Amino acid sequence: MNVVQFPPAAAPATNPLITVDKVNKHFGSAHVLRDVTTYFDAGKVTVILGASGSGKSTLLRTLNRLEKHDSGTIIVDGIEVCDHLKELDALRSEVGMVFQQFNLFPHMTVLENVTLAPRRVRKTPRDQAEKQAMELLERVGLIAHAHKHPFALSGGQQQRVAIARALAMQPRVMLFDEPTSALDPEMVKEVLDVMKQLAASGMTMIVVTHEMGFAREVSDRVLFLDQGKVAQDAPPEQFFGAQQSERIRAFLGQIAG
Amino acid sequence: MWPTSWGRKQRSSATMITASLLLVLLLWLLTIPLALAPDPIGPNAQYFAEGTRVTVQLTVISGLAGILIGVLAALGKVSKFPPVRWIASGYIWVIRGTPLLVQVLFVFFALPVLVPALQMGDFASACVALSFNVGAYNAEAIRAGLLAVPKGQIEAARSLGLSPLFTFIDVTFPQAIKIALPPLVNNIVALLKDSSLAYAIGVVELTNVGNRVQAATFQPVPILMTSACIYLLLTTLMTQVSNAVERRFDVEGRQP
Repeated sequence: MNVVQFPPAAAPATNPLITVDKVNKHFGSAHVLRDVTTYFDAGKVTVILGASGSGKSTLLRTLNRLEKHDSGTIIVDGIEVCDHLKELDALRSEVGMVFQQFNLFPHMTVLENVTLAPRRVRKTPRDQAEKQAMELLERVGLIAHAHKHPFALSGGQQQRVAIARALAMQPRVMLFDEPTSALDPEMVKEVLDVMKQLAASGMTMIVVTHEMGFAREVSDRVLFLDQGKVAQDAPPEQFFGAQQSERIRAFLGQIAG
Repeated sequence: MWPTSWGRKQRSSATMITASLLLVLLLWLLTIPLALAPDPIGPNAQYFAEGTRVTVQLTVISGLAGILIGVLAALGKVSKFPPVRWIASGYIWVIRGTPLLVQVLFVFFALPVLVPALQMGDFASACVALSFNVGAYNAEAIRAGLLAVPKGQIEAARSLGLSPLFTFIDVTFPQAIKIALPPLVNNIVALLKDSSLAYAIGVVELTNVGNRVQAATFQPVPILMTSACIYLLLTTLMTQVSNAVERRFDVEGRQP
């Protein structure tokens, strides 16, 4: 397909927080990422869109090495993403991740979920970690649930705990992998509200989502992936406005359904 | 049994403590009720009590070692390195494929011939054989538990920056052990009863005591019934403790 070139969304900063250079990834015979080259600036919210199977989740997951890329380089905050265990752990504590299925630890209370990583990785003393955790839980509106176990919470509440858990490591960037796709419609808003608040606070965010409203309102930039390639990279007003690509218009039409 | 105002954790702690105390009391004071029993039990009460203590010692030592061996072998079986997997699988294959009696006899009689440094007394030999035996069965239970922990749990822990070790200690293992607990308890109860095979190499445990007393008195009925009752008492207390442990892990309140 033709790649419609818009003027760059934001002129690439001289020193982006994350650079992705010619990254390729295969799953067996499927070539899911094809020479993907892009960058992510500090303090910006980027939304990655694309049809299912376009490689958007895979791209996100290569950024903190939940998937290994076959070739190319990814550099996050000066650390090259590779298999070196020590650097990998350092990288991962700089990069927060929120999953579609929440992945809270079911055997721990909400508070234990949020304090685990700071205590283990940052060696924060328990009382200090708990104090920080309570502040975060207040931010996501769940302070009353601190001593419950995840099973006792709704999906939306669990996802907000998961956001607080990732924030507890004070990451430089937050990755969201379809954070509202497993939620009932009435719970989507509470999670998006937390994400909007986070964006307003200046957090660098990379969000794979199908929430067009969020992309339109909150994002600084939309990255559209198609068959493992960046098919378009545009600010949201251009992406959702005078869309010239037939393929993307069809995609948007289906989503708006 | 406990006040309804108590929470799940309090109840489970209370049960664990009570059952453990009862077990200690039983081992300590067993002589008294046995001494009151008619001949041939009464005169041999001390002997039975001593045998019971040895049985419990065998079970506790082999049980703890067996859980440790089980964890290591389970980790070996899910290891990324093929040679480690082969060793773990080979160990489980041999142990599960041969009779425990042969293993007990092997450790006591054959091992010192092959490796003179491994010459051990009867009690130590029995402990080694029982530990490695129950360890193989535990390994399969724990492996099933490890594989049942969703992949997303490990991804979440690793993406938070937790090292592989802490991911295992804090996230994978506690969830795996919860799943593995019922089959593990099964194995430990079986171990308590299987410890009677130590009799074959002359360890004076409960079954051996019963046999010796029977040989001296020719009264199989009261003696075997006494032995059986003591085994039943021990397994009952053990099951109480393990039920309490299960309840403690049951944060979702799924158990009635």
